[in-house]
This record gives sequence, C-alpha cells and structure tokens, in this order.
Amino acid sequence: MKRVVVHPERCVGCMQCMLACATAHSQSGVLFTAVRESPQPRPRVHVGVGLYGEGFPNRCRHCDPAPCQLACLPGAISRDSGTGTVLIDPERCINCASCAMACPFGVIRYHPEHHAPLGKTVAVKCDNCLARLRQGRIPACVEACKTGALTFEEADAALKRQTDAVARSVSRTAEEAPPAPGFALLTAARKSQLALKNP
Amino acid sequence: MKHPFSENTITEDGRLMLRKMEKDQVETVWERFSAQQPQCGFCEMGLSCRVCNMGPCRVDPFGEGPQQGVCGADADIIVARNLGRMIAAGAAAHSDHGRDLVEVLAAVAEGQAPGYGIGDEQKLRRVAAEFGIATQERAPAEIAADLAQAMQEDYGTRRKSLTLLARAPRKRRELWAQLGITPRGIDRETSEMMHRTHMGVDNGWQSLLLHGLRNALSDGWGGSMIATEVSDILFGTPKVTPTSVNIGVLKADQVNIVVHGHNPVVSEMLLQACQAPELIDLARARGAQGITLAGLCCTGNELLMRHGIPMAGNHLMTELVIATGAVEMMLVDYQCIMPSLGAVAACYHTRMISTSDKARFPGMTHREFHPDNARELARTLVAEAIENFSRRGEVYIPVAPAPSLGGFSVETIIEALGGSPAPLIAALKSGQIRGAVGVVGCNNPKIRHDFGHVTLTRRLIENDILVVDTGCAAIANAKAGFKVAEAIRYAGPGLREVCGALGIPPVLHMGSCVDNVRILVLAAALADALGVDISDLPIAGAAPEWYSEKAVSIGAYFVASGVTTVLGPMPPITGSLNVVKLLTEGLADLLGATFAVEPDPEKAAVLIRRHIENQRAKLGLPAVQV
Amino acid sequence: MQYVIIGNGVAGTHAAESIRRLDPQGVITLIAAEKDAPYCRPMISMLLEGSAGAHQLPIRGPDFYDTFKIDALGGDRVRAIDVAARAVTTAAGRRFSFDRLLIASGADPRPIKARGLHLENLFFMRTAAHVMAMLRVLPACRRALVLGGGLVGFKAAYALLRRGLAVTLLIRSGHPLSMQVDREAGAMILAALKKKGLTVRVQAEVTAFEGGATVTRAQLSDGSEIPCDLVVIGKGVLPALDFVPREAIAVDLGVVVDQHLETSAAGIFAAGDAAEAYDIARKTRWVNAIWPEAVAQGRVAGMNMAGRPTPYKGSLGRNVIRIFDLDVMTGGLVNPPPDARYTVLQHHDRRRQRYRKLVFRYDRLVGMVLVNAIEQGGVLLSLIQGEIPLRVRREALMAPSFNFRQLLPATA
Repeated sequence: MKRVVVHPERCVGCMQCMLACATAHSQSGVLFTAVRESPQPRPRVHVGVGLYGEGFPNRCRHCDPAPCQLACLPGAISRDSGTGTVLIDPERCINCASCAMACPFGVIRYHPEHHAPLGKTVAVKCDNCLARLRQGRIPACVEACKTGALTFEEADAALKRQTDAVARSVSRTAEEAPPAPGFALLTAARKSQLALKNP
Repeated sequence: MKHPFSENTITEDGRLMLRKMEKDQVETVWERFSAQQPQCGFCEMGLSCRVCNMGPCRVDPFGEGPQQGVCGADADIIVARNLGRMIAAGAAAHSDHGRDLVEVLAAVAEGQAPGYGIGDEQKLRRVAAEFGIATQERAPAEIAADLAQAMQEDYGTRRKSLTLLARAPRKRRELWAQLGITPRGIDRETSEMMHRTHMGVDNGWQSLLLHGLRNALSDGWGGSMIATEVSDILFGTPKVTPTSVNIGVLKADQVNIVVHGHNPVVSEMLLQACQAPELIDLARARGAQGITLAGLCCTGNELLMRHGIPMAGNHLMTELVIATGAVEMMLVDYQCIMPSLGAVAACYHTRMISTSDKARFPGMTHREFHPDNARELARTLVAEAIENFSRRGEVYIPVAPAPSLGGFSVETIIEALGGSPAPLIAALKSGQIRGAVGVVGCNNPKIRHDFGHVTLTRRLIENDILVVDTGCAAIANAKAGFKVAEAIRYAGPGLREVCGALGIPPVLHMGSCVDNVRILVLAAALADALGVDISDLPIAGAAPEWYSEKAVSIGAYFVASGVTTVLGPMPPITGSLNVVKLLTEGLADLLGATFAVEPDPEKAAVLIRRHIENQRAKLGLPAVQV
Repeated sequence: MQYVIIGNGVAGTHAAESIRRLDPQGVITLIAAEKDAPYCRPMISMLLEGSAGAHQLPIRGPDFYDTFKIDALGGDRVRAIDVAARAVTTAAGRRFSFDRLLIASGADPRPIKARGLHLENLFFMRTAAHVMAMLRVLPACRRALVLGGGLVGFKAAYALLRRGLAVTLLIRSGHPLSMQVDREAGAMILAALKKKGLTVRVQAEVTAFEGGATVTRAQLSDGSEIPCDLVVIGKGVLPALDFVPREAIAVDLGVVVDQHLETSAAGIFAAGDAAEAYDIARKTRWVNAIWPEAVAQGRVAGMNMAGRPTPYKGSLGRNVIRIFDLDVMTGGLVNPPPDARYTVLQHHDRRRQRYRKLVFRYDRLVGMVLVNAIEQGGVLLSLIQGEIPLRVRREALMAPSFNFRQLLPATA
C-alpha cells in the first residue's frame, strides 16, 4: 500500500504543499476562491524551519498505536482500517487539546473547519487525502511538490531505496555526488550566516 | 553570560534599543525575518521566474522535477534573467537619484530653486570641461545650464559611450569595448535590460550577464557618478569634518529631527532650516535647548560628509531610533526606507513625513518637496517638528555618541596626502601599506548586524590594508571607533605609521552609496599613476552585509571596473553553477576581476589578503605568500 | 486464567482490553463502585459548564462488556484482598478468586474538616453523579464558593463562572493550579479569571458552613464570612485504597508499583490514580492522577497481566486547559529547586500574549509551562518523557519557530 514519504533533504521551503493541502480541503477546491471561504481552509501539513533555515513538511505520521487516539477524551479519534489513516471526528471533538499534548510531532492544529459544526473550533490534522485517494488521485501535498521532498510510494520501495543509499555510503568504491550542488552551496552559505549569529 | 539580542547585533545601542522595543511590544525587522523562515529555496537559488503569465515557473535543483520553465528557459537563463533585473533595478535607483540632482542643477541655473546654489564652482568648471562645455569667462549659472543639459543627454540619447567613462584607464575602456559592454546611455541600458529579460528576448545566459555588467557600468560611471558630482557641485565637495554616530547623537533636551533616505536635495534644505535662527528661537520658546538634525542611511551620509552632521544609525537601526521616544519628526525621501516605519512611529510621538512624489509609505504624511518649494517647506516642517516636542513621552537615549571623522572625498584624500597620490603609491610600493579595500554596502538580518563590516575592517587594517568605506558599512565602522586618530592602534605597524604621519584614521569615510564612485575615481587615479589598469592594483571591494538591488549593481560595476569584490550574503545564483562559475572564476579572464561569496568576515579577510598579495606579486612589488 | 479488575475507570477499561487482546480465553471480572458504563472523567466539568451533554461522556459503547466478554459488576466495592488465598471480597458479600489482580480503584475526593458538612449543596466533583446532582440544584443557585485551586477546584470555578454564577475561589497559594504552573503563568491565569468576574481569596480556609437545610454562608479562618448557596470542595484526591492490606502490599500514597506495574505482591498489579509509579521528571515515585497516565498504565498493566512482559518507563505529570482566551499546557517539573543542576529559561512575550518556561536538568528538558502557542507542546513533552539529551541549544526550544524539524540532525 502506498504512503506519503518525506525526504527532508529535498525540502526547499517553498510551502507549495501547504497551499495545495489547504486548497484540497476547501469547499471550492480552487485556490483563488478557497482563500475567501469562511471558514478559511487551513493546511494540514506545516513547513517548519530547521536550525539552518531548511524547510521541512511536517505532517501526521498516522502512528500505530496513535498517541493522539489514546489520549483523546471523547474518543473522537479512530483509524480507517483499510488505509491505516488516523482520523479525527469533528462532531465528537471537544477541542480539549489532549491530542496536542500527546503528539510528539506537533502536527495538530485547532480551528473552525467546514466539515465541523458551524463555528466550532476542532482539532484538525492530515487525513491522508482519503477523499482524493478514493477518486484515484494522489495526496495534494505530493502532487504539489516539485523537488521530490514528498513522494507517494510503497513503503517497501522507499525502504529499499534508503537501504541502498546507506549501503552505498559505506562502500569504498561508490561515489556520491550531492544531488543538487547548487542547493548544497546555498545551504552552506545559510549555515555559515547562522553560525555567525551565535557568539 | 550572553547579552539578550547579541545574536542580532554587535552594537550596544542596537541591543539596548531592541530590548526597549521588546518591552514596548513593537515589532522589528528581525521578527519579520524570523517569521519568513524558511525562505523559499527556489527563489533563494534564483530558480523561480515570474516574468510572464505562462508561469509562474520553477526549476527543480534536484533534477527530477521540471528543468525548464513553460517557455523553455533553463536554470542558467532563469538565474541570469533574475540577476539582470536586480541590476536594472539597482542601476535605475541610483541613476534616477542622479537625474533628480541634475534637475535641481537645471533649476538652479534657471533661478527657480530658492535655497539651492552652486556650492563648489571649481568643481562645476572641472566637470563641465569633461563634458566639453566651454567655461572661460562664463557665469556659473550658464555653465550649470549647459552641464545639466549635457548630463541629461547621457541619460536619454543614443551615444557610443557615457561621458565620464573617460575617467577610466584607457586599458579598461578598451577591454569594455572589446567585450561590447561600453555603456551607451544611462536610461538606455536599464531599459534594454528590461527588454532583454522579457520572455523570448535574450536567452543567452552569458549575453544576459554581459549586458548586466554594461547596465551596472551605466550606473557606476553614469548615473551614480553624475549624482555624486552634481551633489558636490550643488552642496560642496566634502572636506574632512569631525562628526559623531549612533543613537546618542539624539539629544534629550533638544528637538530631534531625523532625515532618512538618499537624496541631499531634501536633506540639505532641512539642514538650512534647522540652522535658521528664528526656528532655533522657536525651539527654545517651546522648552528645548535647540534643534538637532541627525541622519540615517545615505542621505545622512551626504550631510555627514559635507557638514559633519551626526548619524543616528544605519539600515537595521532605522526602526530602533524611533523607539528612543526622542524623535519629533522623521523625514524620508526614497530608497531603503522600510514601510514598517509608519507603524513603529505610531507607537511613539514621532511624525513621519514622506517627501518624494515617487515614494509613499503607510502611516506617513505626504509633503512633497520640489526644487521650487523645498526651502519653504523645510522651514514649515521644522516648525511643525518643534511643536511636536511637547508631546514626548518617555525618552530613552542609553548611550553616548561615538566620535568619528568623515568627509574623505577623493579631492580631500589627495589633499591629505599632500596634493598628490604619491605618498600613498610610495607606501603601496614599499609594502608599508599592502593595499586598499572598499568596505561598502548595507545591513541584512541574515548577517549579525555590523558584525560583517566591523570584523572584516578590523582584520584588514591589522594586515596593513587601508580601508575606505561608504554607506551602512561606514556607519558600522564609525560606531566601532575606527575613525578617530587613536584608531591607528588597531592597525598593523605599516598602516599605523603612514596614517599617523598623515594624521588620518586607518579607515576613511568616503560617503554614501552613490559615493562608491569616489572609490572608482580614486582607483582610476592610482592606476593611471602606476601606468596600469585598475585590475592590476592591489585592491578589492567587499559588501559583507548587502541586501539591496543597488548593491548588486554596485558589485557588478566594481567587478566590471576591475575590482575583485567579496560578498557576504549569497546572491540568488546558486541555481546555475554555470553562472556561479562565470561570476567567481570566468570573469577573471574577461575583466581581470571576479566576485567571491564568503559570509564569514574572518575568512573573507584571508581571501582578500591573499588576493592583494597576489596582485602585488604580479606588479613586481614585495609580496608575501598567504 | 482468572483476571479480576477493581475499578471501571479508564485504567481498568484499557487493562481489560489489553488482556482480552492477548488472552481470548481468560475470564475477566470487573468490579466497579460506579453503576455507569466507563466514562471520561475529565469531561464532567464540561457537563457542569454546559459545553458537553451526558451522552458524550461514555468512552465505550453499551455492548462493550459483551464484545470483550467481561463479567462486569457495577455498584459494588471491594472490601478486602486476601493475598495468600488470592481472592477478593466485596461489600455485597461476593468473593472472587484471581490469578491476576489489578487495583484500578481510582481516587476519592479528600475530605475536609469543618462544621456544617451535613448541609445540602455541598459537593465534591469527582464523578458524573456528583455533577448531575449539582446540575439539579444549579437553577436556584446564585453564589458559588469553590474550595481549592487545583485542577478540580479550578475547573469547577471556571464551569460555574461560565454558567453565570458569582464565583469565589478560595485557595491556599497565591494563584490557582500551583501544582501545575509557575508564578508567572499563574498570574496570567488569575488575571484572565478575574477579568471575567472571578473573586479569589488566598490563604484562607473554611472553618464552618452555616445555613438552614442548605448552605447559605461559609465562615473563614480569618473571621470573615462569605455568602454562598453552592459549595464545591476540590481539595485533592486520595487513592481509594482502604481495602488494600498494607502488610502484604506496599502502599505509600498510592499502591507502589514497579516497571511492569506490578505491586510488591506477585500477580497483583495497580494502575491509574490508585498507583504510585516512578515519575520521570521528578525522579522519584509519585502519583500522577491524570487521564493519559491512567490510559497508559492500564494498557501496559493489562499486557503484563496477560503474560506479555512490557516495561513502563514511568509517569509524567502533564495537563492542558483552555481558559477563556488562554491556552495553558504544562508538564514535568515546573518549579525546580534552586539547584545548580537546573537551568530555567523563561520568556513572556506580551505583544503576542505568549509565555513559555522551560526547565532543564543539565542537558535534558524536565519541565515546561506554555501559555498560548501550545501546538508544539507534545514535541517538548516527548523530550521530557524520553529523557532525550539535547543536541540543540536550549534557546531553540523557546523560539516561536521551534518545531520537530529542529530535533532532526541537520542535513549535510
């Protein structure tokens, strides 16, 4: 089964995933009208900044077991057995933030949502774009990402690729050029600038 | 024990004012910078393009996503186009500033500019002669009219070459001609850059960059040079003047008026008004001891160079000075004025006045200056500032001003050297002074405020390298105490001796950012004296904390003129390693100078020292291996 | 295998589920003092406030016991445990043998000493039944007196304030939630409550309640008196352990358990508010009577009881509350001793109305108080729970931009 895989070293911080996610969860599904909807749709993936100015698309991992599900007071969090997606029921949610307390990744936000009762602030997080998957489409964040920082692939394939990369890194004969020397140059400059700020 | 805010700035007044602004709950540029993180890598690499509506496009630096924009432009083209437009914008800003001065010169010639006059008649005649204008037995007004006309022609009509290019060494001019980058018209080169970077015009990344160099040259030997020369003609050529810098130049018991922006066309009139006896009396009548005029950024530099007017701070200090609660009025014209200033001022009693028809800002009252109303309007505004004195709340000026020395125009430097560059050349030849570096440019929250400028300058003068500085860098170095006579103790033995003998500090304040052309003129004079090209000299340029498009133009015209230049913050070129290679290596073969990027000023100092020693060796001067 | 579980709170419920998942055949008997199906105790204050209905409280459906094949006995309390004979006896006189026993009897409200405790309209707030009783008399009440600034007292005061009553909160320390927050956050919380009309009296105790049949006023230790027609006593809870034979099972404040939630008596386990486990932040045994600990302890105890040895690292005090416009999240050791091992970072950003306090022991985070901007609180708590030595500067955890990425190694 395919899942969204994050490759942090590829994120350039453009935040396209956030725009696409919010749009995909809007009522109209179109960016220009989505920003004027009430409630305004919000992204479920959050590009946070690293210590060196790098970007990172932070999204729900749909953990198993899910700490948020265990912590939820009214039992509003459940798992979709087919895909393993952890879902929050906006009707049952009481906005107590126990899930924020439990989530070690900090991916849950609280705001009104057009699937929730009108005006009610509820906990919101990534839903694996289940609605899009059922239409045969891929998650919105993956579709938006142009650097390959978010991919949609079989977990086995992703694991194999990573294993191969580790194997190559310890091999004496294999040469590993940085995939983007220009980006490496930029990152080095950013790191140098940041290091200078810490006296 | 780390001081709070020492991550943001190395300056004491900066740290203290940041703490005050936090207490006052006023947002600063650093917080906005932090909120922008992470900044988009596509844009930082120069790989995003918004030139046309088939876009917007981006190229994936990792090679898997799109490698071309919709039109087919690849990374090299997109990066080069983006850089070209930065140069165009920077050149346009400088050149338009120059144009405004030329218009004042014309208005003075017509007697339509009360308050303005000819401040340096000798210079008027000298420059007019360069433009081929007869000056014998002619009244200044007549000469000025012809000169203004001739300069405007450099802006607008089709020429083979700009007039003041003749100041460059012949070898340099020949090189430009060979490369096809001799600037032909000031507005023309900028206009052509906008044309070339339109979709479907210049899609050669090298030719785009070459035109970028030409565009920059039309600024350096064109618009900016005209700006500086006309400013000298109108307001006087700077002479060595004592002055002071930092927040402490504001006075708790005086009406404080701050000028910010670039054009002395506005600040000179304000200076006159602040010196008017009846307004000083008015200030006293309102309970103040007098009126203090202080500058920010380049217009402040212009006043400092000509009149020793003190400077309250550089680019990243502009919000902070308002938090002293001691500024009755801040008047701005154009360039480098943050649109946040109105919101900051609204938290205090400071009145914000915009003065240029080209530049409006949120939260500012617009009072437009023109050559015919400037003198009167300046007086009216100073009177209004005085009325604002009684509305002060808490005043917080926590530091004493740092003394400094300014006014080092080329003319003054030659004078300080005894009338000719010979002593400097002798010192260079003997190696007492290894070389000279222009430390220029802005501040940028990406670099710890003033850390880049001050650290680099300190290392350079320790290495017996004379430093000349302009712009925000000049303020940083003044605050650091490098511009008093005693500062020679920071210098290496050779530089210390030479500067001590001449009675000058080891760091010479050469002016505002358009005054970077003074460095070009000085370099040209040294090159001619030695019979070489500028690119043979043991000199370099550095912009350790640049942010503006103007800085890109300046860097480009320095390099095009033969001065290897080291940048602190990385420009948006890493998306194309071809462009990076050309700018940092390839230009050596074409122009005898290159760019380098090094955010760490310690490393930049080593780079520069090495370059200077290599240049010395090539000239057959005593050199060391670095 | 005979499993007996004392208590049908969330600890007992999760334990039963864990056992059944691992042991499809074993007999599970659940003895509960309350008659209700398992419900979410933290939500009873929302019942009082009116922001949740009684139908939202149950944490399992009506067929839960049937589905999991649990013999559930409601409305009965265990009176004694015969450790040697491995059997429990209940108040109703029933006797159950066990191979594995779980003490998940929870805690009871701590009683107070005062005259007039027989009067009507004096309530504890521990069970849904307490709140239902309060709701029945609420329409006739105007002035509430709440004793105790801890979580129960605080939530009761907040709920009654939201119901429109005039509320006086009587607390022993200078601000409410003194066990959860520090002085600075406490001051912010107190200011928020006072702004909404809460009256707070500090350092005063009630000596007597007076009235006819129902309470009409309270006498305080300083001689003053407060008119009130509804009193909520929230002076803490005590583990409900009167049936535990202390000569056979080690009991401190709660039943002492090891890393597997097992007591000093083999085969007897404890979980939830009744248990005293190792506290990760305090580095000593402690009773952390909070919902997420009851969940975790119940789950793990059940796994151990069913023969799958599963270690439990320890408990961590933590809480999250929304109070009018303030969100407060706390965890771990919030008020450290003045000791060179601890570093405290605090910042109150008044412009953004944001307060953060972080307590470090050497290079590990051990405590936190967040007022607003609580979304990343779980990341910080995971650092405390995991006792992760920090490789990043402590100041990075204070910044508004702190997020999970900053804990990952920087990409080369």
